[in-house]
Amino acid sequence: MSRTRPVTIAVLAVFALIAAACTSSSEPSASDTSGSQEPVTITVWDYYGKATPFQDSVIKGFEDKYPWITVDHQGIGWDAAQQKFAVTVSAGNPPDVATMDMTWLPTFASNGLFADLTELSGGQLNGAPIEDSYTQGALEAMTYGGSYVTMMFDFDVYALYYRADLFEQKGIDVPTTWEEMQAAAAKLVEGDKYKFEVVPNDCFHWCQFLFQGGGSLLNPDNTEAAFDSEGGLAALDYQRSFLDDGTGVLWGTEEGDSMAGIKDGRIGMFQDGPYWMGLLKDGAPEMKGDWAVATAPYSTQPGSYLGGTGLSIPVNAAHPQEAWLFTQYMLELPQQIGVYEYAGAAPATTQALNSPELNKPDPYFGGQAPFAVFLDAMSTATHFPYVSSWSDIDTEIGTMVESVMLGKSEPQPALDGTAATVNDLLASG
Amino acid sequence: MSDAIALPRRRVRGRFRKVLPAYALIAPAIVSSIVFLYIPIAFSGYWSFTKYNGLASPKWVGLQNYTDLLSDPRFLKALLNTVIFVILGMGIGPVLGLMSALLLNQAVRGRGFFRTAYFLPVMTSLVVVATIWKVLLNQHGIVNELLGVVGIPAHNWLGDPSTALVSVTVTSIWQGFGFETVVFLAALQSIPSDLYDAALVDGATAWQRFRYVTLPALRPTIAFVFIIGIIGSFQVYDQIFVMTSGGPLNSTRTVVFDLVDRFDSLKYGEASAVAYVLLVILATLSFIQMRLFEERA
Repeated sequence: MSRTRPVTIAVLAVFALIAAACTSSSEPSASDTSGSQEPVTITVWDYYGKATPFQDSVIKGFEDKYPWITVDHQGIGWDAAQQKFAVTVSAGNPPDVATMDMTWLPTFASNGLFADLTELSGGQLNGAPIEDSYTQGALEAMTYGGSYVTMMFDFDVYALYYRADLFEQKGIDVPTTWEEMQAAAAKLVEGDKYKFEVVPNDCFHWCQFLFQGGGSLLNPDNTEAAFDSEGGLAALDYQRSFLDDGTGVLWGTEEGDSMAGIKDGRIGMFQDGPYWMGLLKDGAPEMKGDWAVATAPYSTQPGSYLGGTGLSIPVNAAHPQEAWLFTQYMLELPQQIGVYEYAGAAPATTQALNSPELNKPDPYFGGQAPFAVFLDAMSTATHFPYVSSWSDIDTEIGTMVESVMLGKSEPQPALDGTAATVNDLLASG
Repeated sequence: MSDAIALPRRRVRGRFRKVLPAYALIAPAIVSSIVFLYIPIAFSGYWSFTKYNGLASPKWVGLQNYTDLLSDPRFLKALLNTVIFVILGMGIGPVLGLMSALLLNQAVRGRGFFRTAYFLPVMTSLVVVATIWKVLLNQHGIVNELLGVVGIPAHNWLGDPSTALVSVTVTSIWQGFGFETVVFLAALQSIPSDLYDAALVDGATAWQRFRYVTLPALRPTIAFVFIIGIIGSFQVYDQIFVMTSGGPLNSTRTVVFDLVDRFDSLKYGEASAVAYVLLVILATLSFIQMRLFEERA
């Protein structure tokens, strides 16, 4: 039996937290050096990994532009970034700029960890009003308590990826509604192995169906569950229909990376974010020309969750002015295009999304310009509710979906039970 | 009078000089243990009585984290899963280890090879072993292919809540029983042969020799294997993380997985309470085992 002690990691983290607890962090220690131009080193955390848009050449471009600022660029694993950010901010030695998963915002923002970017920016981003630099959905996602707490750097919304080569061979039309999608899936698998990927255990995938069926997660005040509705029921029924009629392949955690299923053909369609464009090119270069992207089919209205990566400045960052200069620099058009070039993800500013560089035909996708699809999806996407108990709610919904997909619960009782739990979570704050 | 007082002082000073190098040598280990282990343990104990997310100051909530845990179905499920894992693993692993050790203790040809073969999985990283078994147990994996040859339909071993925990346990037993084999083999080889000779002279059968010579001689080793094994099994995490991430439907969620999950969700107070519940369970079990084996020895 295992004798490994993973708890060692936890012990080290506990130690870091003790250091945090023993350090006073109540007062921001920002020093305004924007005018003095004295040599300053800013620390930048980046969780993109190897395929980062924060390339050395990009960083050097910033240092050339602002010669008095040196950038200490640190790669932090995505898995560890959330905890590490919390620990260092509370310990009083945070980075100056950090990449921030948009789903982490509620917890951090409700604890006052972010600098107020509305105040720091004066409402301007690279000489233009922030309101004009993003879509309405992005602006809402960047706002907490009436202020901007992050600047969206890349965005994540879901669209339909499908095997265009098989669609052509089998004479399948690209589906736009749920009914058409079910028919397309049936035709795709007919006498073959190609199926629609059903992800059973996360909120991201199920929420898109909820929104497409006219439902919403919580009520407008974020005080009560609202997914136990007709829209919620329709979403569960729709997702399960692919498993019931054998047109879907259940892809749980135990199956590992879905790239394996994409490469061996078990997955012929899936719905996911723009970063999959980069993953496909990297992971399945031999499938060049086989894949295409379309707006996710819907029942009553288009819909997706809206997430992505933001650039945030901690409330007690040592050099907030320089951090803001860096943030602005990374949101300039060339660096935003780098999000696509290096990470294969979708940049967030409207200037980048509308730029010809990103909207030119992509040979991997058979000459299609797939960005237009995601841009379109972004305009109707909804970010997860900004409530402090979101991570628990997310887990509850994921478990509910899994239970229904595995046939362990019926949709209506599952919705009712989960809604009751979510209401308790919301009530207890 | 002054001499009478000075003598013990000199003695004390002399003894102190003698042990000073020893203290100096163990100081780094002691200091690092205090700083990196005992202080965090103490803080963790304090946090277990607070609501703390690492951001705001800890808020004292008394026993609430503990009472909440006892009514949290996810934690209770994790506790039950861990107990099943321990019972299955410790019920089968040491028996397999003892059986293979008894076989290897015979004068079989290629004993060294078998000993290495049994021990190889123990030396292999658990993450590697878990990854391999995840592929083997995949719906389209070799296990299902082989079962298909004898007409057994393919099964999603890790994707079905009713078989996932057993599958992970089997992987863990396979990976770990080589350790028990080697430990038991070493113990078997240290049993004096004259005990067996005497038993033979007394007309003892093979079973009687095993029951009245081998087993009593192995008692300290059995105690060691069970204490170490149970402590390790209660802390199962790596293979769960790699193979199932606690799913499906929390069917493989274990206590340590639950702890890390709460830690990742910035619920440091709750995570600390889980750690202390685990500590109490392990301390109690170890105490009972030690008393049990001491009394019988």
